[in-house]
Amino acid sequence: MKYLIRHTTSYHYKEPVSLCHNIVHLTPRTNIRQKNLFENIMIFPQPDSLDCQVDYFGNTVYFFTIQKAHNELVIDARYETIVNPREPINFVDLPCELVLKNIATSTDTETIEATEYTFDSFYITRHNDWLEYAIVSFSKERPFLESVMNLTTRIFNDFKYQSNATTIATPMVEVFKQKSGVCQDFSHFQIACLRSLGFPARYVSGYLLTNVDKNQEKLIGADASHAWLQVYYPGQGWFDFDPTNNLQPSDQHIFVAYGRDYDDVSPIRGVILGGEHHTIKVGVSIIPSDSLVT
Amino acid sequence: MNKTTIPKILNLQNSVFLNDYIPSTIAFDELKQECNIRPHWELFVRSLEKLQPSEFLRWWSEARQQLRLNGVTYNLHSDSRGVDRPWQLDPIPLLISENEESHIQKGLIQRAILLEIILKDLYGPRTLIKNKLISPELIYSNPNFLRACNGFKPAGNRYLYMVAVDLARGPSGVFHAISDRTQAPSGPGYALENRIVMTQMLPEIFNKCNVQRLAMFFGSFKETLKSISPFNKDNPRTVLLTAGPRSETYFEHAYLARYLGITLVEGGDLTVRNNRVYLKLLDGLQPVDVIMRRLDDRFCDPLELQSTSLLGVPGLVQCARRGGVAIANALGCSIVESPILMPFLPYLAKTLLGEELIIPGVTSYWCGNTESLKYVFNNLDNIVLKTAFSSRRMEPIFIEELAKAQREELIESLIKNPQNYIAQERIELSTAPVLTEKGIQARPLVLRRFLCAQEDSFLNMPGGLCRYASSTSMRLVSVQQGGGSKDTWVLTSDQVSTFSLLKSGSENMEISRGGGDLPSRAADNLFWLGRYTERTEGLARLLRGIFLKLLESSKTNEGSEVHSLLKILTHCTKTFPGFTSDITTSSLLEPIPELLSMVYDRDRPGTFAYDLQSIYRTASSSRDRISFDMWRVISTLEIPENSHLNLDGFHQEGSANIIDILEVLNRNIIILSAFGGLAAESMTRGHAWRFLDIGRKIERAFQTIRLLNGSMISSTNTDIPLYESILEIADSLMTFRRRYFNKISPAAVLDLLFADPSNPRSLVFQLNSIRENMALFPNNQGLGRMSLQEKSILSTLTTVLLADLEHLIRPAENKNREYLRLLLSNLECDLSNLADSISHHYLSHLQLSRHLSGNNQ
Repeated sequence: MKYLIRHTTSYHYKEPVSLCHNIVHLTPRTNIRQKNLFENIMIFPQPDSLDCQVDYFGNTVYFFTIQKAHNELVIDARYETIVNPREPINFVDLPCELVLKNIATSTDTETIEATEYTFDSFYITRHNDWLEYAIVSFSKERPFLESVMNLTTRIFNDFKYQSNATTIATPMVEVFKQKSGVCQDFSHFQIACLRSLGFPARYVSGYLLTNVDKNQEKLIGADASHAWLQVYYPGQGWFDFDPTNNLQPSDQHIFVAYGRDYDDVSPIRGVILGGEHHTIKVGVSIIPSDSLVT
Repeated sequence: MNKTTIPKILNLQNSVFLNDYIPSTIAFDELKQECNIRPHWELFVRSLEKLQPSEFLRWWSEARQQLRLNGVTYNLHSDSRGVDRPWQLDPIPLLISENEESHIQKGLIQRAILLEIILKDLYGPRTLIKNKLISPELIYSNPNFLRACNGFKPAGNRYLYMVAVDLARGPSGVFHAISDRTQAPSGPGYALENRIVMTQMLPEIFNKCNVQRLAMFFGSFKETLKSISPFNKDNPRTVLLTAGPRSETYFEHAYLARYLGITLVEGGDLTVRNNRVYLKLLDGLQPVDVIMRRLDDRFCDPLELQSTSLLGVPGLVQCARRGGVAIANALGCSIVESPILMPFLPYLAKTLLGEELIIPGVTSYWCGNTESLKYVFNNLDNIVLKTAFSSRRMEPIFIEELAKAQREELIESLIKNPQNYIAQERIELSTAPVLTEKGIQARPLVLRRFLCAQEDSFLNMPGGLCRYASSTSMRLVSVQQGGGSKDTWVLTSDQVSTFSLLKSGSENMEISRGGGDLPSRAADNLFWLGRYTERTEGLARLLRGIFLKLLESSKTNEGSEVHSLLKILTHCTKTFPGFTSDITTSSLLEPIPELLSMVYDRDRPGTFAYDLQSIYRTASSSRDRISFDMWRVISTLEIPENSHLNLDGFHQEGSANIIDILEVLNRNIIILSAFGGLAAESMTRGHAWRFLDIGRKIERAFQTIRLLNGSMISSTNTDIPLYESILEIADSLMTFRRRYFNKISPAAVLDLLFADPSNPRSLVFQLNSIRENMALFPNNQGLGRMSLQEKSILSTLTTVLLADLEHLIRPAENKNREYLRLLLSNLECDLSNLADSISHHYLSHLQLSRHLSGNNQ
């Protein structure tokens, strides 16, 4: 699939902001299944410095600074991105027990580096309660990816999608208690479950095409930023799961950035001087460009 | 403030006192082997023997006095109210022989190089993890592994510019490294201060013993800092970044900044623009090239590191990444001070350097390893537990010494999260003689050594900070736990270098009259220090006047002027309702409870005790800006204690207690006058002085206005005693008497306090002085036109000068002097606007940063 993506964020400040420093994670990653044909990020007012870099996780980041007083900040990012469908699994899915053992004993660099995603991070803490919830899906002999999918389905069934039920600051214990939240919460929770069992799991931020076709079932996510997760399979790499939609992402998911959790990849992070109260408006539109008449 | 007392030391009756010292039997003793003095101590011991004990004790007492007056402190609980612990220095130094020193130096350099290599790998290729030379968990789950610091070369292509290592000597006489400090090592400044005090106390013995000097170390460090500047290589602007007066070692930050001749700054003084760091000075932003950092890694940048930190500089990491500023030590260094690294160091030394560790670490076990955990459980009473990832948040735990409940709690936590703990074999620490109140006794000690970067290796400080435990049996050596420190003398047979930091540029030195940079925050602090000292002095005078009147009126039973004074008190201090309610209310008839609160209540804004605390706080923040003498004066201020005073007692022997209070007030008035005198006589007339002085003058102007407002508005209220009190409080009674003898008239009082430019207490005097100062403010020179603030002060001054006193004292129909009231209230309003305008104009970049919430959902 080919997509035109436009992600506009605008801030309005009651009092002028005299200085702001920002970090932006908006650019879709390039990987085996995905490539950008066009990238453009426009910032208003014109930044005094703008750097494009790659972060610790390999995501593209923009740093920018605005040093003149402003009451409004607009970040308008546009991309054209090709996403290819997921390949079917062409190997034997090993039992969980064996996968866990491979992770612990492997001397292969990729696996060693994947263990980084088995520990606690800013928003995700391993916990016995998550382990107990998850273990039901992971019997010793059950194939690993099948188990992860089972857990994904259970979270999809047990938790209710409710857009105003949580904020990013809502603790996981609370999300677990009320069994409702948004894609971030479900992804964080599933990652917490997997890490509590000892499996490497990381957070993915991206976009989702929700209005494909009138006949198809509409996916949840309101054409905005979406989040899902990846688990590591020793020797095979990382596999995507989306607990919000109970599926393994394919070419309707556009991959932007990954990290240990939301904190590593939040789309826009900033520190401002002045500003008092501010309001934010975010608009995301995803248009499959194949369907456009050219 | 603690009083210095000379311990009564009976042993010192005997002149050969170190010979009588009894070393510990189980530990290695630094001075004696069994009962023989070790050879390298002999010269020192023999020289000491020649001193009279009384002479020695007197010198020591003077030395302690000097430490106290210099304000050498260790902020125990990081308490803003200034519960600083005076620094303890033992008069007997620790001596290190030339041979041993060369071994220690080699070992420490090896260790520092190893840590540097590990850092370069962890923030670069991470082969140590990929090849499992370090267990990946130790890094990946370590909160000190800062991913934001990954993948860029630090300034000068090195991470460590200053390293500290704690050494402990076991019973066999071998030194072991027990911990490393790499992100912002504390202690070199204390070591230096100890040395300065010791050389003043025992100059002859010091010279005779041929002790290596410390100045060269700091000189070299300063040169290195200069060399890593990305810009302005010749004259880089270097700052010392501190967490501020609440930090435990703030004294040292201010001390080192002054010694190295660099500007002490807090995060709020710096700002990042155009990928450079700037210092917010009064006359605008000036670029900073090198930051010597005493702020922990994670606090340094709220944008990329710990987002809740208010101490850092937003954008600092990115600026370092782009090479816009050099930071020493580089950001991210805390990872190698995690105790967790200790068990891996011997192996890493072998693999990375191909060498054995010259100074062995103490044997350490990471409890996350099953084998190690088993060993730990079998040897619980012989080990020391530390948190694996941070050596700072928790003191080491000696399990053997825990109460049963604590012990069980700890074991449970150890079973649950073994990976969070590291166990170390316990070392029986070596001992040295320490002068205590019970004579000279053996105390266990730990030696902190320092290294700084030099070319592509490290340079040792030939000395160090020796810390000893507070009792013979204590295993924990900690300044927090009440231990003390010793100077460390490294002996040499070579000629001693007499390098001094001050002398270094003697030839062709450029004459300069500036005094270095004055950051806006420092100016703000001085402005408030001026205001608080003056406010407190005025309040003390007012309270004194009131209490004197109370003593009189209890005899004569008169009281209307007391009531006026009480109302003035409430207006001046804004402690409403206080005495301002109607006369029938109890506060005026029973003024004592409210007055006691005004003297003693430390938690109530506007009281005398509260204001004294404010002085202490702002003075602490200005430590690097005011002279030693000014600090000494501040440190003698007495915050009144009311522990012995209850209300009942006050009534029974009322006047006796009033006399106590009067004495405290009098003493503080004299101290504050001394501070004012020093400010006037010994501070260079730079911007720092100007802000202090404007603060004082604005505050005094406010007070004069409020005194007049409270005493001269009612024209029926012409009783002479009130005018007398007002003149006395305004320190102008003598002048008045000289001019008018015993006659008193409202016009004369108003003239002296309001309009007389020769009276340093008059309103017009304050305004004149503020105006003169303001003309010299930054940005105002040479422009040929007045700033808003200058216009505002000129307008206020003109109003006062043009005022017609006869007109002002004429009562209106309601018998009150309405013209005067109107004028005074306008003036008060103008002054208050002026004070705000100064803050706004010169100090405005002291805004707080906040986070953008960027959540889309």
